[in-house]
Amino acid sequence: MTVAVGLHAVTKRFGDVVAVDAVDLEIADGEFFSLLGPSGCGKTTTLRMIAGLEFPTEGSIRIFDEEVALAPPNKRPVNTVFQSYALFPHMTVAENVGFGLAMRKVPDAELRRRVGEAIELVRLGGMENRRPTQLSGGQQQRVALARALVNRPKVLLLDEPLGALDLKLRQAMQVELKDIQREVGITFVYVTHDQEEALTMSDRIGVMDAGRLLQVGTAEDIYERPANRFVADFIGETNFLDGVIVAEGHVEIGAAHTVRARTGAPVGTAVTLMLRPEKIQLHHPDEVVDGRNRLEGTVRHRLYFGDSLYYEIELKSGDTIDVRVENVPSLPRWDPGQRVAVSFHHDAADALTE
Amino acid sequence: MNVPTHAAASRNADRALSVHGVVVFLFLYVPILLLVVFSFSDASNLSVWGGWSLRWYRKMFTNDPLLRSMRNSVVVALVSTGISTVLGTAAALALERYRRWLGKRTFDALLYLPVIIPDVTMGVMLLMWFTTINWSLSLTTIILSHIAFNISFVAIVVRARLANLDPSLEEAAADLYADRWQAFRRVTLPLIMPGIVGGALLALTLSLDDVVITSLVQGPGSTTLPVFVFGLIKRQVTPEINAVSTVMLLASMVLVFGSLAFQREPRAGANPEAP
Repeated sequence: MTVAVGLHAVTKRFGDVVAVDAVDLEIADGEFFSLLGPSGCGKTTTLRMIAGLEFPTEGSIRIFDEEVALAPPNKRPVNTVFQSYALFPHMTVAENVGFGLAMRKVPDAELRRRVGEAIELVRLGGMENRRPTQLSGGQQQRVALARALVNRPKVLLLDEPLGALDLKLRQAMQVELKDIQREVGITFVYVTHDQEEALTMSDRIGVMDAGRLLQVGTAEDIYERPANRFVADFIGETNFLDGVIVAEGHVEIGAAHTVRARTGAPVGTAVTLMLRPEKIQLHHPDEVVDGRNRLEGTVRHRLYFGDSLYYEIELKSGDTIDVRVENVPSLPRWDPGQRVAVSFHHDAADALTE
Repeated sequence: MNVPTHAAASRNADRALSVHGVVVFLFLYVPILLLVVFSFSDASNLSVWGGWSLRWYRKMFTNDPLLRSMRNSVVVALVSTGISTVLGTAAALALERYRRWLGKRTFDALLYLPVIIPDVTMGVMLLMWFTTINWSLSLTTIILSHIAFNISFVAIVVRARLANLDPSLEEAAADLYADRWQAFRRVTLPLIMPGIVGGALLALTLSLDDVVITSLVQGPGSTTLPVFVFGLIKRQVTPEINAVSTVMLLASMVLVFGSLAFQREPRAGANPEAP
């Protein structure tokens, strides 16, 4: 694997505040990599350090094996799509897109050809002579993308580029961005706080919180096997149950139940059992369930979501869990106050130690 | 029942407000109108109307000391505006763009001082300074004094413009391979130009109008037009003063309207529907 971007023990401090805390990360050439986390987690600062708009307090940043940690932004083979787009308001679309090439003194004929190609790539043909203020939000976003891609950067950095767009347009642009990335074959580093965006677009995701990189993996890795409670909580919806390991692969919850779970932790360890609402099934209390963990409880609430139903179940241990059930005719509906059995496969229950 | 009473009250209020508006405008503009009208009077005395004439304008343009003072005014205004625009813009950039430097807060506060302190104080201060360093008063001392107060005005106007400028525009320029100078020249400067021009026009107006400071720091033969007119009034009051004042009024108005027009940043062809 060729490493496009390599971060080594990168730390950024603003005064007393540690914005990025000893981050190690390798992003492969051609990869669509997302940095995901809540606002203030350090993902944008990390991106800005790769761009050269901030410099790390400590650590090394390499882009295709070239150390760039302290190089100014205009000396790096990367380009950025800014969150606010940062289009130059006094220039036309074509002048905006051609800015980088003009700065690098690309000959006029080649500049015009490449600007034309980039504008075609983002499907803005005919808009060349408009000013950014005459464009819609989605069009401005395409100009920002073309302005970065036209320079053929080795790595394209995107800072929440779809954040300002409405939902429908955002979903359309997600698909388009992914297509463009496949077409140009450039490494994309994408910063977002929107987990759905990260899950659907990325080859791999890095989840950050409080300046630290908590987990790096594919969308499936992160959703199915989160490294800790924060990641499990941040990505999707999750039930958390406090428990203790009582035997190898067995967790006791609230002294009432013992269930099998996926864990390597030794006996006696306090753990948090993580259980996704869609991986739990509801049964009649008399029904026998084979090969699965079985708990008993009472329905407290039922919420109707159209495509699905959410049940809040109070377990015998006193814990409550949410269960998501597809709204299909073959499944029975349960009413509040009804006693039910709850079952889940032991592979769907992760015992987290952090 | 309540509705018509309310409507009547509102109608009365409207009427009272429009009358008030007219009175305020009369209060402001009648003296100016009289000044302009009497500049065209043929009489030698301002208390009588002597019929239409351009006599005082002719006299004005053959009055050598007056013409010299007019030339001085133009030289002082242009030179002091040029220098204070460059320095004021640099100060604005330093204060807005470079967040951390020693003494920034102090400098920030001091920059506003020339705007706040009375002209007389400023004039006496400058006079004492020039006397202390034994610099003989001349056109140069007037220019230096005007630069001293104009820097603040330019800096304030340019800063307002810079504060509204998205800092990521400069970052985008740097990201697109521009060095610091190119980013400034190609992105920052064109975008703050309306502020710079507006500040310069304001400086020009202030310099052309200043009496108090100039009268304190002028040397022999270096009188500017407003100071000259001020001296003229003390000796004799003829419509010539009206003629001179009308010319100055016209020049000031052109500059002020120019300054306003530039700061309004007309976005040619902007699409109001675009967000």
